[in-house]
Amino acid sequence: MSMHALNQLVARSIIDPGVVQAFSAGKIGEILAEFDFGEELRRWLSSLEATTWAEYAVIAFRAVKAAEVPAVRIQLPSPAEGLLINRSRPEEEQVA
Amino acid sequence: MIWVTRDERLWFLRALAQGLSDYLGAAEPPIPVEQLLKHPPAAYNEDFGVVDMYSNLWDATFARPPSQRGSIFVRIDLPPDERRYALARETLSAVITSRQGRAMGLPEMLMPNMSESAEYFAQHLTAPQALLEAYRSRGGDEKNFAPTFRIPSQVAGRRWGEL
Repeated sequence: MSMHALNQLVARSIIDPGVVQAFSAGKIGEILAEFDFGEELRRWLSSLEATTWAEYAVIAFRAVKAAEVPAVRIQLPSPAEGLLINRSRPEEEQVA
Repeated sequence: MIWVTRDERLWFLRALAQGLSDYLGAAEPPIPVEQLLKHPPAAYNEDFGVVDMYSNLWDATFARPPSQRGSIFVRIDLPPDERRYALARETLSAVITSRQGRAMGLPEMLMPNMSESAEYFAQHLTAPQALLEAYRSRGGDEKNFAPTFRIPSQVAGRRWGEL
């Protein structure tokens, strides 16, 4: 959803000088409020600094993309595994 | 200027093309590119124009005479599909060199890969994602893509291949 919002923002910026003017004046937050960004992401995008609007757009793209990647789940063995008395591991079988 | 990957640049170009196609508000293909150039958004009143020319050298090229309105000079004898695409391709030059484009910082980002950027931009301006998805959802296939969107078949092949 945030990427869709960012696409709409950049799309609007090509025909609406107000977007770039707001960015240059440090007021991009006011424009961002019109789009469907999450609260935390919007605050972060509002604080981004860049030399040009195009540069800002790319940095925002990276931020939104990173925010949309689901967190990697670390696969740890279950704590219950050690309680299974009758179950042996393959490497233990080779020892004997 | 920060380092920008090719994927990031292409994403940016897609969004820019979307902005112009949204402005046109076309609900169905083909995209009226020439109408965009003759009735541009206010920010481009001094930058978009079309001038027919007789030439064997170029299909179309953008030029901005000093202190004058920029225009795309397009060969008068081009077939309509090729004319639409050539105008779309040169539109990026008009945008980049405009006051609005310079304010956006487009020259720094897009000039180094201008040829590829212009071709890619034109593919998306003449076949916007939303219209392409609608076309496919109605059962539209690759064979009829070029004639439906009225773009050259080679261009259609590249655009379809991106899906």
